[in-house]
Amino acid sequence: MTDELLVVRAQLGERAALAELVARWRMPVWTYVRRMLDAERADDVSQEVWLAVLRGLPRLREPDRFAPWLFTIARRSVTDRLRGQYAFRQEDLVGDVVVEDPVESLVDRAELVSLLSELPVLEREVLVLFYLEDLPVEDCARICRIPAGTVKSRLNRARRLLREHLEKKGYRP
Amino acid sequence: MIEEEPRLSAQEMIDRLEPSLSLKRRVRAVAALLAGLAGAVFVSALWWSEPDPLPGRTQLVFALLTVCCLAWAGYGGWLLTRRVPLFATDRVIAAWMGLAASAATTTALAAVAVQRGTGLVPALAVGGLFVAVALVLAVRAHARRRALLRRVRELTGREEK
Repeated sequence: MTDELLVVRAQLGERAALAELVARWRMPVWTYVRRMLDAERADDVSQEVWLAVLRGLPRLREPDRFAPWLFTIARRSVTDRLRGQYAFRQEDLVGDVVVEDPVESLVDRAELVSLLSELPVLEREVLVLFYLEDLPVEDCARICRIPAGTVKSRLNRARRLLREHLEKKGYRP
Repeated sequence: MIEEEPRLSAQEMIDRLEPSLSLKRRVRAVAALLAGLAGAVFVSALWWSEPDPLPGRTQLVFALLTVCCLAWAGYGGWLLTRRVPLFATDRVIAAWMGLAASAATTTALAAVAVQRGTGLVPALAVGGLFVAVALVLAVRAHARRRALLRRVRELTGREEK
């Protein structure tokens, strides 16, 4: 069953569809939240995200765009928690050229996860959405409310930082 | 590297969301909004249609009752917009409850006006406005539900092909 069908059925008030939606998206939401926050807060924030999803679901006008909408809500909750902890940089990072990077082939998922916590928040965020959640650049841009070009430049910068971290740990491409 | 897992299972997460989905909570929110609005209109109508000048204390009591009713309406409205999700089927039921409450309030207002022999036209105008708003909400709620059901049929048909 597609996400869109599940969402529409949930919008009609079907509990089973809602439960299926939670079961299907619980891990991706938690993964995003966990990569952005520490373990203590990840579960609470995930629950907060799902409550907001539940409250907003009847008003969702594009059920086929459920994933970007879901991560927009998750991002809002994460940003609320991060505010104060970090000064969230809002200026765009421009000027980087997107190129194929050998770090992509070098880093497997587990290594990427362990290195993520060392990256700055904005770069970590696009990396999680793009690589761990497999969202297209356009969806990442929509979720983060930045132009697609900025997503690409942040990804580029994130890959560069990741490569530097890897090289410090002794990896060589 | 050990893969981390969320502490809450899917079922535990759903259980934690359950209070927001409870029927009691949704009915309470709709009832607070409707009773508050109907009460405020009815008390105000009684107050303003009083033929003789009222003593200060009675005016105060009417004002307090109106404020109380408006506070309940505000609470119900806040619950429905910020706390309790109303899904398409719930909205249809809520709209019909609203229509019934509007009709009952209009009848009560008209009865009071007839008994006092004055103010029937304003009572019917206010009641009519409430009934009209409730009707619009009911039509919209039905249309939204029909659209969603149509989409479910389309998507189900597409998946079965």
